[in-house]
Amino acid sequence: MILLEPHSFVLEETLLSRFTSEKPEVVDIKLVDFDNVIYHLQSSPEQRSLLTLSVEMTYFNEVLAYGAEEILAREYGDYMVPPTNSQHNISLQFDLEKLPEDKAALAKHVSLLKRNVLASPFLRAFEYWESQQEGAGPLMATHYRENEAIYVQAQQDRVTVIFSTLFKEEVDRVLGKVFLQEFVDARRLASIQNAPQVVYSSREAPLEIRHLPGLRQDESVGYVSFVLFPRHFADPEAREKTISQIQLFRDYLHYHIKCAKAYMHSRMRTRVKEFLKVINRAKPDRVTSMSEKRTATGRYFRPQFRQSGSPQQVEGEW
Amino acid sequence: MSNTLRPYLNAVRSTLTAALCLDNFASQIVEKHNVPEVEAGNSKEVLLNPLIVSRNENEQVLIESSVNSVRISIKIKQADDIERILAHQFTRFLMLRAENFVILRRVPIKGYDISFLVTNFHTEQMYKHKLVDFIIEFMEEVDKEISEMKLSLNARARIVAETYLSQFV
Amino acid sequence: MSKLPPVIIDNGTGYTKMGFAGNTDPQFVIPTAIGLPNQSRYGIASKRGIEDLDFHIGDEAVANSKTYGLNYPIRHGQIENWDHMERYWEQSIFKYMRCEPEDHYFLLTEPPLNAPENREQMAEIFFESFNVQGLYIAVQAVLALAASWTAKNSQQTLTGTVIDSGDGVTHVIPVAEGYVLGSSIKHIPIAGRDITAFVQQLLRDHGETSIPPEDSLDIARRIKENYSYTSHDMAKEFLKYDADPVKYYKSFDATNSINQQTYTVDVGYERFLAPEVFFNPELVSSDFLTPLPEVVDNCIQTSPIDTRRGLYNNIVLSGGSTMFKDFGKRLQRDIKRIVDGRIKKSEELSGGRLQAKPIDVNVIAHKKQRHAVWFGGSIMACTDQFYQFSHTKAEYEEHGPSICRHNRVFESLA
Repeated sequence: MILLEPHSFVLEETLLSRFTSEKPEVVDIKLVDFDNVIYHLQSSPEQRSLLTLSVEMTYFNEVLAYGAEEILAREYGDYMVPPTNSQHNISLQFDLEKLPEDKAALAKHVSLLKRNVLASPFLRAFEYWESQQEGAGPLMATHYRENEAIYVQAQQDRVTVIFSTLFKEEVDRVLGKVFLQEFVDARRLASIQNAPQVVYSSREAPLEIRHLPGLRQDESVGYVSFVLFPRHFADPEAREKTISQIQLFRDYLHYHIKCAKAYMHSRMRTRVKEFLKVINRAKPDRVTSMSEKRTATGRYFRPQFRQSGSPQQVEGEW
Repeated sequence: MSNTLRPYLNAVRSTLTAALCLDNFASQIVEKHNVPEVEAGNSKEVLLNPLIVSRNENEQVLIESSVNSVRISIKIKQADDIERILAHQFTRFLMLRAENFVILRRVPIKGYDISFLVTNFHTEQMYKHKLVDFIIEFMEEVDKEISEMKLSLNARARIVAETYLSQFV
Repeated sequence: MSKLPPVIIDNGTGYTKMGFAGNTDPQFVIPTAIGLPNQSRYGIASKRGIEDLDFHIGDEAVANSKTYGLNYPIRHGQIENWDHMERYWEQSIFKYMRCEPEDHYFLLTEPPLNAPENREQMAEIFFESFNVQGLYIAVQAVLALAASWTAKNSQQTLTGTVIDSGDGVTHVIPVAEGYVLGSSIKHIPIAGRDITAFVQQLLRDHGETSIPPEDSLDIARRIKENYSYTSHDMAKEFLKYDADPVKYYKSFDATNSINQQTYTVDVGYERFLAPEVFFNPELVSSDFLTPLPEVVDNCIQTSPIDTRRGLYNNIVLSGGSTMFKDFGKRLQRDIKRIVDGRIKKSEELSGGRLQAKPIDVNVIAHKKQRHAVWFGGSIMACTDQFYQFSHTKAEYEEHGPSICRHNRVFESLA
């Protein structure tokens, strides 16, 4: 698995099993998605067939300003209900008795919820570009994690997306640098010339967001800017794909840093095994060749423990 | 193998072979104790002069010998951040498994990346020349492994970046 | 913002159970299998590229077993292949659970008598590769005890005997105040897999020829799961069936997986014979002949004398193969019989001068038995103490993997 998928597998599976179960059960399940999203699936206490999916998102108020509401209404309008709990930002309600025919498709669609919500700043930026206005559009920040944010800004001829990401560890920081450098270099390849341009800087924030207060500027922060050109978002199909991909950039990067570490672990394990072989050569073989003989079936034949009363043994020993 | 590496390793090998002339030697300070003198450092008269075999300032071997033990510390070549991290990770990984390696120290001497301690008991129970072989092979392999890891890391990063970016085309 | 729930992963020999704390059931129960590309077991030789990401886990691995060779990284409860296991976790976390490990605490399980080195390796992987915030490694049997606290007749102690019967093997594990009494653990080589095979054999014996051979194991498994119950007395049960077959014989409708034709299977004696395997092992095994109640009694009798009452008093069932109807009742009756017999004998031998206080035998069955270990973990990770007992990333950085040798629940070396 190289690429991460845009939908939440665990949410899809959980929903589908509830949708298809023969009799409605009491449900109270908490699930998690990348970037601090918490799903809460509950069946209503009065009526078991009513299933409520509530979502908690730290950055919901931010995306609300970028038109997340419209997207939600468009995508999940039929199921939307006002959240009952102040912690929840979004609630969808499903009546298990009135589900559409294709339950799998519905489950899949709902599992894309986080992606659709987070799509709002991108869509807003693309719309701004479409409107052909002069100058740069507003800078839209989404603080998707603590101390990490996505900034989206539309210009006349392009849309800039800036990720700030945090490397908690020295090892991660160094590995992250290697990966990010490759992102910058990879575009030289002929086959992906058309990919968005990537600029990466650690410590120094890019010009577009430098004026913002409270930016962290130390070794552990990395800033990655993607410059999206109209070919990435003019066509509606390409647009959806671009949004799905670009959102997951941070998770993708960190996933691969972890995989690289896992790979190094397995290399090191092999290496340790080889070194052990070398050092074990220094240990003299125990003199076992005399006492261990194989029988015809391949089993070892070992002399039995000597019994004190056995005359043969006594003879041999003396 | 490059021309300069060979003499360097040869020098280490000869020095080590010479240094590994160890005797059982009871502590002069505490009765009925037998400690590696090079670690204890309590009786100056049983310590020999430490010596450094150096290829350049980043690649050195410190050999401290005494009457009953030898401590060998290796500085591994680290050209940049990545190699530094990889070397650190690798030596740490090894040192966590020190008990299997018998002669490996759990903590390196300050200023070095990894240390070995060979006592007279080791040389009595194991082949001396094979122990030297191990240390030489270790020095060779460690450099190779780190540069290979670095290469594969870069290759990996490239594929990861290309796969991601080709999604946009 | 509320805190993200910890992630519970219970890697068993056959199946891996994983999910988020606070839920009553694991989100995923998938085979602990990893499918690797057939052509080359990537070794140190192939270093250009990311072949090591080309693999499947769980059901997908099984589905792709034509092109990907199946590997089982866990044998007899112990992790054998750390490379495979590390990658198994990699995909479990990122694909299945879909969470960023840096944001979560993790609770992992280990079999009783796990070597501390294995625990260190686990910690190394989770802290170094995945940067988890905190880690707690719990013993499966202890979690199974914790899971039984939800049962009505539970004593809510950490003293008890756990009977853990999964797919591959059955263990009887005595636990005293959270400590596993390692020397008294007993193993029984009979578990779910053997019972299924036994049911399959029975079906074949009474001539169910309509079952296609490729479905036969699956049908046997479903019959075992849906129709079995534990009888009071095997001989009487046979008589009952013979006297009134119509009442007791069930029929099972199945569909041929290939040509979709439906057929009916008669389900007879196997209904009570399947769980009977535990009580009369000679049904399936020729070399292991000790019935389960006797094994449990032996296990408790070899434990320290001051723990025995507690162990009899709280016998907890865990694992899918203990789910048979009335399994607990039968077990309780049989163990009670053994215990009472012993007391009576000792009273007789003393000539009536000694009067022993009767021993309470309680077998506790509860609703969460199937995934009891996971459920116990879920309960535990919801408590506030969980965060105090876990080893954090900062501590790992400071002391290294050896911190996992220490269990803060007991404030001692575990």
